[in-house]
Order: sequence, then structure tokens, then C-alpha cells
Amino acid sequence: MVLVGAVRDYLNRMLNDIPGMKVLILDAQTVGIVSVAMSQSELLQKEVFLVEKVDAQAKEAMGHLKAVTFLRPTVENIQHLKRHLNSARFGEYHLFFSNIIKKSYIQILADSDEHDLVQQVQEFYADYFAIDPFHFTLDLHANHVSMLPTVVDPHNSQLACDRMLDAIAAVFLSLKKRPVIRYERSSEIARRVAQDAARLMYEQEPGLFDFRRTEVAPLLLVVDRRDDPVTPLLNQWTYQAMVHELLGIQDNRVDLTKLPKVPKDLQEVVLSSQQDAFFKSNMYENFGDLGANIKKLVDEFQLKAKSNQNIQSLEDMVKFVENYPEYRKQHGNVSKHVTMMTELSRIVDERQLMAISQIEQELACNANQAVAFEAVLNLLNNEKSADIDRVRLVMLYALRFERESPQSVEQLISRLGAKTSKHKAGLVKTLLKQAGFDKRTGDLFGNRDLFIKALNMARGLKGVENVYTQHQPLLAQTIESIVRGRLRDIDYPFVGNHFQQGRPQDVVIFMVGGTTYEEARTVHLVNATQTGTRIFLGGTIVQNSASFLNDLEEMQRVQRVERGSFAASM
Amino acid sequence: MATRNQTALFRKYREALRSVRPHVTTSSGAHGGAIELVEAPLLNRGGPRGYNAIGGEDLDAGHHSVGSSTMNLPPGWVDISDQVSADMQQARSKMAELAKAHSRALMPSFDDTSKEERTIELLSQQVTKLLKKCEQKLQQLSRPTGPSEQDANIRKNVQRSLATDLQTLSMDFRKQQKGYLNRLQRQQEGQAVDDGIGLKKQSRTSEDDDFSQSFSNQHLAQLRQNEALSVEREKEINQIVESVNDLAQIMKDLSVLVIDQGTIVDRIDYNITNVATSVEQGVKELVKAEETQKRGGMVTCILVLIVLCAAMLIIYVLKKIIGL
Repeated sequence: MVLVGAVRDYLNRMLNDIPGMKVLILDAQTVGIVSVAMSQSELLQKEVFLVEKVDAQAKEAMGHLKAVTFLRPTVENIQHLKRHLNSARFGEYHLFFSNIIKKSYIQILADSDEHDLVQQVQEFYADYFAIDPFHFTLDLHANHVSMLPTVVDPHNSQLACDRMLDAIAAVFLSLKKRPVIRYERSSEIARRVAQDAARLMYEQEPGLFDFRRTEVAPLLLVVDRRDDPVTPLLNQWTYQAMVHELLGIQDNRVDLTKLPKVPKDLQEVVLSSQQDAFFKSNMYENFGDLGANIKKLVDEFQLKAKSNQNIQSLEDMVKFVENYPEYRKQHGNVSKHVTMMTELSRIVDERQLMAISQIEQELACNANQAVAFEAVLNLLNNEKSADIDRVRLVMLYALRFERESPQSVEQLISRLGAKTSKHKAGLVKTLLKQAGFDKRTGDLFGNRDLFIKALNMARGLKGVENVYTQHQPLLAQTIESIVRGRLRDIDYPFVGNHFQQGRPQDVVIFMVGGTTYEEARTVHLVNATQTGTRIFLGGTIVQNSASFLNDLEEMQRVQRVERGSFAASM
Repeated sequence: MATRNQTALFRKYREALRSVRPHVTTSSGAHGGAIELVEAPLLNRGGPRGYNAIGGEDLDAGHHSVGSSTMNLPPGWVDISDQVSADMQQARSKMAELAKAHSRALMPSFDDTSKEERTIELLSQQVTKLLKKCEQKLQQLSRPTGPSEQDANIRKNVQRSLATDLQTLSMDFRKQQKGYLNRLQRQQEGQAVDDGIGLKKQSRTSEDDDFSQSFSNQHLAQLRQNEALSVEREKEINQIVESVNDLAQIMKDLSVLVIDQGTIVDRIDYNITNVATSVEQGVKELVKAEETQKRGGMVTCILVLIVLCAAMLIIYVLKKIIGL
């Protein structure tokens, strides 16, 4: 519970030291940060009886409540706080900021505090969404910005970079570590974020980051999503990743309102490894095992329900009343997972995802060009297949055979254009331009290095256990190199003159452009087996194929507008 | 888990600005009111702000008399919630006493145990009563008193938190009662077996020896005593069963209030957005209601006027006819 635990510790410290009835004031981002770490009933136990957004319209004064604000240190929030202090709505104000606050902001606040309401001003560095113990995200709004060159949209690009920097700084402050920093050579934005982080940690705030040194310094590695465009395009078959791919998870919440035939109390459900023991033990299981486990869960529950049904003696009644809350809780949980499972298998059937996924995995791992071409073409011509599946398959094919057989790629793209739309076909080209062979640093398909090529051949001969989960994200390779201390300096250069030898104990890998749950699973597996190295994974958002395509589309649109205005100004 | 405290810096800035501000106001000269405003809350700075559970009333009265901060007076329901927490605290201490009494009563002893039993009875009745009282007061909390949406919201949350506490407390109490009950029953069964053996032995001896009449008389007396004891025990068991049932009712009522943990209702962000939408909904509904009300009022008004006009006209015409 490392990252989740850190956020919870911050919140506990914030709320436990202030006695009496409290109101918690949050902004749009911190609402999410707090929500993924703590539940409403836990807040109630800490005598927080009202939670409010900082920009909510002021209602009547409530002097009997103490306000605890937990906000990001932004200009807007400072303005809102100023308004709060002027109106003196609550009896006391305890100000907590999720990151380093500028001196000038403190001055503004001190100036507005005419009624002496502010009791304390603190920096509590919980500035990231700790969705799982080793996985954090930022829920960045305009995520496509990270794919654009800085000049296109300098304002938004700066905002995005600042947000990433804030989160990275907060993670290291929560861990009480100062890292050496490396970045992926071929990504402009990764270099920028890495350099910003180095400047902050070593030049601007050296005192704040001055923690007890470990023998081998921890590592911050900034990489770019575009270095592995394959992982977000694949269908997933492990529970958490699959739910995100097919239904979508937002801050550990799943919205089921759009689906037909979902009971009313299950229109929105929570999937949190922290609160749901069944989910925790099954989130990385594959679909088949998951089905068996859910069946076991249902059987267990039925047994309990039966024993609750035959109430004959007073004794039985007493027992029933005693077990009732537990029973009700379990009932909710069982029906939640069963609903999920039925929905997932319905979608899998409907879109024939088994067959599609097999081709995808072949393309991603070890494909024969002629066979793959045939398979993709068949699927394109199949009237039943969905547009999104067509686009993804052509993209995967294009990424794989971009250099080996460019004319077959062209052929497929034009076929895709005929089947769906020109616009969709254009996306494939955009992807190649953004994340093609020349733009990548890592050895995505394992065909750059002779040694790895041989290794892959050997693996191919051995056969795979599960056709649908044979793909390993590029991240797995990167982590292996880090753990062995063999990450190449040329591909992943250091920032400044802080170098590192040996294997680091704590590694934070930050993915500009978003992570995937498949990668989170990889990290989980490494952390579970490896002794001595803890890996943390973070990204701007958590991607699935839909959001990845959406980002590409958005980026294409912005670039077109930019080019248009450029042409007009000529 | 690093943190940084900027309070000192903030205070420094605040002090610095305070020393500057009066100069500004005196130089401009026109802001006499502003100074008062700044200073009035300073007077109140002596005591702790906010609601203080024990000395609360005096403090608030003081505030009130100063007249600058009536807003610090907490709404009436705060008293209820404080009473509930006090009652729960009392129930908790009574339960601790009860646990001691239980273990004493279960200890085998040759003394008269009736006194122990009476205290147990009394204590468990008191606890049940206290829990019931809490539960009733909790229901009171949801009674609408204030007009504001937010206040209602806070009240609901307070109610929920107290309900959760109360639920665990009554659960503990029930477990305690049940444990005692089980042990008591077991002891009684054991005793019954003992008695049985004793009786058998007794009958055999009476068959064997005719002259042991007086001896068996003595046994008979003991038997009667045992019987009385078992009747007593039974009564006790019944009482406990009763109190368990009472508690079951409380549990049922409470379970409506307590949030199911791990569900969407337990999410902070869900609750915030929900409040926002419900407020919006409320406003919309209010506007609609106002409209319909207005329309309804107007329509009846017009109708009444028309009817009145007609009536007047008829009266006028009749008058004219009669006059003619």
C-alpha cells in the first residue's frame, strides 16, 4: 500500500490533529486524489461532516465548523481562498496545499486574512492519484498535448509539463528520496520534464529534497508513451486491464449506465484494490481463471444465503441478525463482480474479440508477414467487425511491417479508408509519423538486437501458455535492464552530473502520454518477485485503445488547424 | 511523507501587513469603519473558536453578548448529537462493568449469587435503554429544522457517523450478551448432568438403605433449591433473549442509515457531484413549483373575480328590476 498509504497518511495527519466538526474543502483535482485513497465513511469517522468544492457558491455562514482546505497551489485556488477568507464563512481555516506553494501566494493569503482565521499553512505532498499501491496517474485533461511539439501550443504544453513535474516532485517527497534522473533520448517532452525535475530538485529546492542518502541513489526514468504504441492498442485479458479496455475505469470507478440491463444500484461501481478483497486478489488474473474464481465466490455466497434462509429457532434468528451487515456487503460485492463478468463476456462475444485478439498478439509478438497480411485483410473485409477493431489491427500491422513491407502497409491503409473513412486511414499515418521506427528508442519488436532476436526465436519454439496474453510490454524489458544495471547510457542519458552505478532500490518510471493497466500488471509482477527493487509506475492518464486513438485524433486536428492558420498567415 | 510547514512564514507576513495596514487607513482617513471591522473579531480572539463540547454554551453566550459573531452559535441539532455521543460513552462504560459482572457471576461460588444476577440484570437493562435512547435521538436528527440544504447535508452525515458507531456498539453488546448466555446455558447443562447423577445415586442408596429417610429428606430440600435456581436461570435467559431482540430491532433501523462500505455511495467524489446535481434539481423544481403556484393562484383569482362580477351584475340587474 505504498503510494495509497502515503496519501492516506497525509490525510490522516491533516484531519486527526484538528478536533471537532470539520468541513473539507477540495478542488477539482484533489477531490479525485482524496477519493481514490479514502472513503466517505472513513471521513465521517474523522468528524468531517461536509465536503465541498472550493469554487462552490457561498451559502450561509457556519462558524461552528472548522474548514480544512486541501488544494493544489494554483492561482484560481488562491483567488477562491481569498474570497473564503473575506466572507469568513467558517470558524477556522487550516490550509493544506498539495505541493510547493509560491511565497507570493502566501503573501496574498496573509493579506486577505483580516479576521485572523487561518490557523496553519502546510505543504502536504499528495499530488497524484494513487489508484493502486505502485501505480499513479494524473488525470491530465489535454493529454494529446504531450504528442505535439512545444511550438504548436506553448501555453497548454507548459501547463502539462508543470503538472507532470508537480506529480513527480510529490511522489519523491512522499517517498522522502532524491533521485538521479534519466530520460528517453528520442522524446523531446521527456527530456524537458526530466530537466525541469532536475532543476527543481537540485537547484530551486535543494533543502526540501535533502534526505538521508542511500548507497545507490533512487532512479527517476522519464519515458514517452510513443516509444511503445503497441501496448495501448491491444485487447486485454486480465481483469483490471480488460474492464478498462472494454468498459473504462476512471479513478477506480466504472460507469455502467450506458449498458442495457444493469440493475439500478449497480449503474456505477467501484473497483478498488484497497476496499475490495476479491478484486485485489483477482485484478491481475486472466479471464478464464477469473470466471472460475467468480463461480467460487458465488457458490460460497449461496451457501451462506441458504443458511440464512432457514430460520427456525431463536438462535438462528440471532445469528442471522448478527451476520446481516456482512451478508449484505457480500451480496453487493458478488452481484457487482457477476455483473462485470456478464458484461465483459457479452462484449467479447459481440465483437468476436477472441479471434481479433489472436491476430493482435501474433502481430505484436512474432508474425509472419504474409500470414498476418491475410488475417488483417480478412478481418477488414468482414462486415461484422467494428471500426475500432479494424483501425487497431491496421495500426498494429503498420507498426510491425513499416520497414519490411511498406507497400502492403499502403495497401491495407487504402483498404481501411474504403471500409471506414479517409479520416480513420489518416490516423494510421499519423501514428507512424509520431511513433514510427525512427522515433523510437527502445527495441519494441525485439528485432534490433541479434541476441534478443535469437531469444525470441527460442521462445517461439518453446510455445506459449496462453495465446491471448503472450505479449510483454516494452516496459518489461526496460525494467529488466534497470534491475540488472544495464540500461544503456546512450539511449537513456542522465540529466546533469548525477550518475548512478549499481541497482537502485527505488525506481519511478514516469510515462509521458499515459500508462496502461497491462504495464501496471508487469510492474506488480516484478515487485512481487524481485526482492530489493521497488518499481513505481506513473503516467499522465491511464490509456486504453479508445483513449489512445482519441488522443491521436485530437492531435491530428490541432495540427491541421495549426497548419491551416500557418498557411493563411503566409 | 515529507511535509513543510509554512505557518511561521504566513504569520510573519500577516504581522508585517498588520503593522502596515493602520498607517494606510489613517493616511487615507476615510476608513474608520474598516478598522472597527478588523478589530472586532480580535476581541473574541481570547477563547478558542468553534464549538466546544463542554464549555460550549457559556462561550457562545459570551460571543453572543459581544454581538459580533452570532454565526458562531451552532444549530440546535449539535446538542442532540452531543447527547448521543455522551450516551454512547456511558453505554460503553456500563458495558465494561457488565463484562466484569458476567465473569464474576460465572465463577463457581458457594455464596448467594442473586445479588450478582440482579446487578447484571440492571446493567443490561440500562445499556439496552441507553442504546434505544440513542437510536431515538438519531431519528430526531433527521427532522428538518433549518431551511438550508447544506445544513441538512451535514446533519445527515453526522447522523450516519453516529449510526455507524452505534451499530458497532450494539453489535459488541449483543456479542457480549450472547457469550454470557451460551456460557450460562452450558453451565446449567453441566449442572443438570451433575444433578442427574446425584439423583441416581440417591435413589440407589434409598433402595439399599431404608433407614436413610432423613438423609433423603435433606437431598429433597437440595433438589427443591436446585429447582428454584433453575427457574431463576430460565428467567434470566429469557430476559437476555428479550434484550437481544430489542437490539435486533435497533440494528434493523440503523442499517438504513449506515453506508455500505466499498460501494459507490461511499465515494467522496460521487457524493459531491450528487449533492451538486441534487441542488440543481432542487432549484429547478422550486422554480417549476413557483410557476405552477403562481399560475394556480392567478387562475383561481381570475375565476373568483369573474364569478363575483357575474354575481354583482345579476344583483344589479335584479335590483334594477325590483326598483322598477
